[in-house]
Amino acid sequence: MPVDDKKQSTAEDLRKTRTYGKFRCHNPSCMGRLQPEALQQQVKCPECGMEFRVHWIRPDFPRIRGPVWEVNRKLADEAFLKLEEK
Amino acid sequence: MALNRKIAYIDLTSGKIEIKSIPLEVRRKFIGGRGLDAYLLYNHAKKGCDPLGPDNPLIISGGILTATLASATARTHIMAKSPLTGLLGSSNMGGFFAPELAWAGFHHLVIRGQAEKPVYLFVHDGEIEIRDAQDLWGQTTTETQWSIREELADEEVKSLVIGPAGENLVRFANVMTGIKNSGGRTGMGCVLGSKNLKAVAVRGSQDIQIAHPVEALEYNKRFIDQITSSKVNQTQGALGTPFIWGATNSWGGIRTRNFQYNQLEYADDVEPERIDEIAEETIGPYHMTGCFACQVHCRAQYKIPSGPYAGKYDEGPEYTSQGAFAGEPDCKSAETVLTGNHLVNQYGVDNLEIGSIISWAMELYELGILTREQTDGLDLRFGNDQALLEMVHRICTRKGWLGDTLADGGVPASEKIGKNSFDYLIQVKGMSNLHSDERATPALALNIATSSRGSDHLRSRPAIDLYHLPEKVLRKIYSSPVAYDGPLSSEHTSYQGKAWQVFWQENCYMAVDCLGICKYHTLFLGTTLPNFEDWPKVIYYNTGLEFTPREIWDVAERGNMIERLFNLREGLTRDDLKKGDTLNHRYFDEPCRRGAPDVVGRKIDRDKFTKMIDEFYQHKGLDPKGDPKPETLLRLGLENEPSHLV
Repeated sequence: MPVDDKKQSTAEDLRKTRTYGKFRCHNPSCMGRLQPEALQQQVKCPECGMEFRVHWIRPDFPRIRGPVWEVNRKLADEAFLKLEEK
Repeated sequence: MALNRKIAYIDLTSGKIEIKSIPLEVRRKFIGGRGLDAYLLYNHAKKGCDPLGPDNPLIISGGILTATLASATARTHIMAKSPLTGLLGSSNMGGFFAPELAWAGFHHLVIRGQAEKPVYLFVHDGEIEIRDAQDLWGQTTTETQWSIREELADEEVKSLVIGPAGENLVRFANVMTGIKNSGGRTGMGCVLGSKNLKAVAVRGSQDIQIAHPVEALEYNKRFIDQITSSKVNQTQGALGTPFIWGATNSWGGIRTRNFQYNQLEYADDVEPERIDEIAEETIGPYHMTGCFACQVHCRAQYKIPSGPYAGKYDEGPEYTSQGAFAGEPDCKSAETVLTGNHLVNQYGVDNLEIGSIISWAMELYELGILTREQTDGLDLRFGNDQALLEMVHRICTRKGWLGDTLADGGVPASEKIGKNSFDYLIQVKGMSNLHSDERATPALALNIATSSRGSDHLRSRPAIDLYHLPEKVLRKIYSSPVAYDGPLSSEHTSYQGKAWQVFWQENCYMAVDCLGICKYHTLFLGTTLPNFEDWPKVIYYNTGLEFTPREIWDVAERGNMIERLFNLREGLTRDDLKKGDTLNHRYFDEPCRRGAPDVVGRKIDRDKFTKMIDEFYQHKGLDPKGDPKPETLLRLGLENEPSHLV
């Protein structure tokens, strides 16, 4: 047989790195792991201050629904102002 | 068995039909699907042919694994010279058409010529008929499919059809099958329209003999487990592809108001969770469905909840419809997204292109480049949902000056509108960009700039670059099946190593398009999904053909190179804004203003971008101008193209 059926492929092997119950902050240079409490609806990143609304695919599987818009706008405006000042 | 599926050559001018086998030598070089289509196009299209003329061959295919025991082999590929770009035309769709084509005995149809009157093809169990379609002309995509089933008295017939947009030669018309499966991008529906070909109907009952059925079934269980256990596919099964739009909008990667902003703020009504609620309210809890042999079920069914189309059934929307009818035109209504999605499906037009081009016109209107006289009185402001939907009707029916102008595509429209309108057109190689904003993600910017069919996310996007994966994980993925020890960066705002990632993904996506598998079943959005190392087993058990992972990579590289040869023959040059591997100036000049704090201020660095293109060309074996080096063609066995083996 030309294929080795027993050996795991790289993709299969990477399954062991999978985590549930967490997601990453959406701020590129932050990307911190956030772990909301069970069915928590909002979470704040302790590193960069971004706040997210949370949707639960399953009780053990949260995802970011979107940012908290007021916080998102405030942080973006502050960041843009800083750039303009430079 | 799969390997005995045939190619049919159909001449609509003369009515002549020829059926031929696919030599094993050709299978080994191109496998099937898109790779073999690219070979056929390069060999059968004359240089400089009119995309709407009889000499433009239209090629329709399934992959080598289509309708075998492998998973998610639903994809149909369509290729021709594009009437939108004048370069490679290529589109790919799910549904149930390709398996039926394989059961009817065929893997590839090459359609040439031009019928005098509207016709459709009926392909069934080794035979092909050219049938009258005058009664079908003018029907929507759904009506056409049901009419064909009624005429043939067989509800199991699967058809690939065009709607009014294709008949009206809208340059970005789709080929459609089912309710929403779209061969979108590059205007393949327009090519059918130019040939007076309303549809291709198929019905088959020929068995496909599996080379090693017990092993194929056994391995497929493992393959399915790999597919269904991935988090990304579990999310797709719950929310469909809109989850991608939602996640991207969250950090500021969605182009808004054409290209003025990079986030649609307060977009709660068009977020995937809200669309899912509407699907549940109007259809019920089991509203997700899928394509042939797929376990992911990423397609929602819904009814439009309100407005003039309230109660109309449709499927989707895909994330592209959120971009087309929410982000780009700055509209924030689920009703508009679901209605727009319904209209494009029924007209048979590319949602991505039509949303982009209307949003471009909105920006021109607000800048005073387009006048109210040119819009025939329509107040084409951003955020005007009614004007947006009205423009969909006008473009698809070529109504009014602007509808007719935009129906020809962005580049010709910019020439007609004049002034500096082209500066605002967000396109690559004449095809509008996806709804995403790549200013913060250099790898994704490189992907859209170099994609063979024009700006596109499904040809080489390293989407996993956004996941901040540890470098050792990236290295595990990107150093197989070809050794790579160059730079890689897990930082998605970096330029380092991105050229290799894009090159790797380009080959990965070509490979799945040759096999006939959906991209959600490979390393597109999830790292644990199958790729080169997994495919030899599926191919061998199902077809008996032996490939190493490296050989599949070589086939993919060859397929990508022959697509490039086609584009070069049709005038591609590296820095040409209309036909080259580059981006609109706004990517380099205008910084992001919304989104996550570290996205704000990002734009593409022109020098670093140029260096990335240089690196990408080196990986592909191209010279600095973007032409293949002779040794590259020799290595890939393409030194004698066109070789006319089939």
